[in-house]
Order: sequence, then C-alpha cells, then structure tokens
Amino acid sequence: MDSAARRLTLPASVESVAMFRDFVRSGAVAAEVPVEELEKLDLVLEEILMNIARYAYVPEAGKAEVAFAPDGPGKLYLEISDWGNAFNPLDVEPPDFSRGLAERPIGGLGVFLVRSLVSSIAYRREADRNVLSFWFPAPGSFPKAGE
Amino acid sequence: MTIETEELEKAVLVKVRGRMDAENAHEFEQACEQWITSGAKHLIADLEGLQYVSSMGLRSFLSVAQRLQSNSGSLILCRLNGLPRQVFELTRLIGLFPVFDTSQQALATLSWIPLLDG
Repeated sequence: MDSAARRLTLPASVESVAMFRDFVRSGAVAAEVPVEELEKLDLVLEEILMNIARYAYVPEAGKAEVAFAPDGPGKLYLEISDWGNAFNPLDVEPPDFSRGLAERPIGGLGVFLVRSLVSSIAYRREADRNVLSFWFPAPGSFPKAGE
Repeated sequence: MTIETEELEKAVLVKVRGRMDAENAHEFEQACEQWITSGAKHLIADLEGLQYVSSMGLRSFLSVAQRLQSNSGSLILCRLNGLPRQVFELTRLIGLFPVFDTSQQALATLSWIPLLDG
C-alpha cells in the first residue's frame, strides 16, 4: 500500500469497531463510495474485526490495523491486519445450510457474509502478521455511470 | 438500537429499530429472554426500523428462535427490508424463520395454530 494510505491501529476488541468504522467511513465518503454501499462496508469491517477480536490472540490481547487508500472514483482499497498466529479465515468451511433451525450452528456466518459481499478478498501472511485485502465496492458489484 | 415490546393476545410484538451489531445484539436476546421466561411462546419481531444487522445479531435471532422452538413456540419476522433482508438471504436464514410483510399477517398465521399456543 502506498504512502497516501491512511492507517489506524487500535486494540483488537469490540469497543474498537465503532472507531474503525468511523475512520473508514470518512475515507469512503471522501472517495465518493456510493452512499447505499456504506453500511455494507460497515458490515464487512465489523465481521473481520470481530473475528480478530475473538480469535486472533486468545487468551492474550493484541491489536488490529485498518489501512485504506482511494483507488479510482468511488472505490477504496483496504487492508486489515493482525499480529496473531498465522490464520486464513477464508479457509473456514461455510456453514452447513442444509440443517434445520434446531440444528443450525449459531456461529460461522460472519466470514461467509464477508466472502459474499467482497468476492475478491484475499489473505496473505506477511512476516508476523495476517493481512486481508480487498477492494470496496467489490468489482462488478455496482454499474459504472452510463451503464 | 431501540427495542419496544407489546404484549398481544397470542404473541409478543418486538419492534427493533436502528443497528444491531456486536456491541448491542445481546440486548435483543435479553429482551426476548425476559418474555420467554415469563411464558411467551411466540415472538413477532417487527424489523421495519432495523437498518443494519451483523452476524452477531444473526446469532441472537438464531438463539432466540431455537429457544422458542424447543418450547413449541416460534420467532416470526416481519417487515424485513434493505440490507438486513439481504443479510438474512445471503446466510440462508430467510428459509428458517417465518417471514411476513406485516405483523397482521404474522398474527393471522398464529390464529391457525391454536394448539401451539398452549
């Protein structure tokens, strides 16, 4: 990510999610990401950050970092990092949708939602950190002007 | 998020407005739990004012619905729109819950299953 990127590092916790959200929102609005996409962006951020808060550092505490840069009109490139054990959340199997209400597992929906909303998301391990990167809105998720 | 509840003849109407996220989803679960503990079998969640729901909110809906079902009751959703509806559809939860366009339709369904209403 180039030097024009903005970064915010906070403790990986549920209390930090709102601060990360406001930080990214300000960049998304400045980059003219379509208003109707902003809550989807909130959702993707919350799901990834809660995953880090709940699983990356157990039982210790650690930090999370969100970085973003505008990438053309109406679009952001984002990277979300943690310094926990190497773990690719995109490898997690999707929930078993064939089960009825009584047997439906209560967890596992967050990563599935992220993958559904940002199809191009990618994971890499870089030195001692896990990095998830994606463009938002995801390519092809909304028509370009004039289409 | 704000939650208002109203006791009806066959169900409790739970109106949820605003954003249900990791920070506050437990409040919905607690509000429902109080009614279940005091004997409610059917809860109708009116979600017209719900703007946002994350997977932590979905966990709460699932948990409440499973608790009610194990007691021969149900969690019925109505007026689910916008991004929350998309989230329920993407996670295939829409097929697990009865979903209606209005609370009146939800209530009408309950009038056909008096045996479950104890």
